[in-house]
Amino acid sequence: MEIKAKLKDGITTVKAMAKHPMLTYDTAKKQGVEANFITHITATLNDKVVVLDMSTSQFLSKNPIIKFSFKGAVAGDKLTMTWVDLLGNTETSDSVVK
Amino acid sequence: MERRKFLGFGIFAAAAAFVPGTLSAEDYRKTKPAVWTAHTVEDAIAKMYGTNVTIEQGVTLTAPDVAANGGAVPVDFSSEIPAKSVAVFQSSNPEAAVCAMTLNENSVIDYSIKMKLKQSGTIVVVVEGKDGKLYSAKKTLSVALGGCEG
Repeated sequence: MEIKAKLKDGITTVKAMAKHPMLTYDTAKKQGVEANFITHITATLNDKVVVLDMSTSQFLSKNPIIKFSFKGAVAGDKLTMTWVDLLGNTETSDSVVK
Repeated sequence: MERRKFLGFGIFAAAAAFVPGTLSAEDYRKTKPAVWTAHTVEDAIAKMYGTNVTIEQGVTLTAPDVAANGGAVPVDFSSEIPAKSVAVFQSSNPEAAVCAMTLNENSVIDYSIKMKLKQSGTIVVVVEGKDGKLYSAKKTLSVALGGCEG
């Protein structure tokens, strides 16, 4: 995942992009393959506090880009993002709040 | 963690992945599977929150009036309401629920996502306030080129 986390006036804004085909059931059926899309994305600060907890569907775009915000971080904090998909694959990436 | 697979339209897999240290992470795909198979927005909201009555204020929803590419429609939404969760629904696709976020005391409701819309329709964002009420905003838009590849 590509993650950019910027802190300004106490609020951290994160732009994250996951690489995933986000294949819907309809499209997968047409292609004769199994549908697969990210179902859950989380972001954690310093491995302690959850700052994003998003359950998702087949309807986010391919290579989904998500922007979200939260309070409570300071520059240098570690931001870890993880996604899980329908078939159980998962990917975790770390970044630093700047 | 157990791994279960349900065949059929509402298929989902309980993955063995963790969520670290968390007090508040909730995977709504596991805890509320019926939300993700609901066809209409009203039905999905009702399955998520127990009611589909919402107050249309307090939520800002921005999306283009005409989406040139239905495969990646930018949707921005924000709210100042102290809330427990936020969810996005739309009426264009075979199922209505797009995503749902659990919030905690650090959360700021200010999100941007890119979603797929098969055809013109209405996007609805629902904010579940800590007061137990549902607040929402709607946006109807046209889609020039459908986004579910057919």
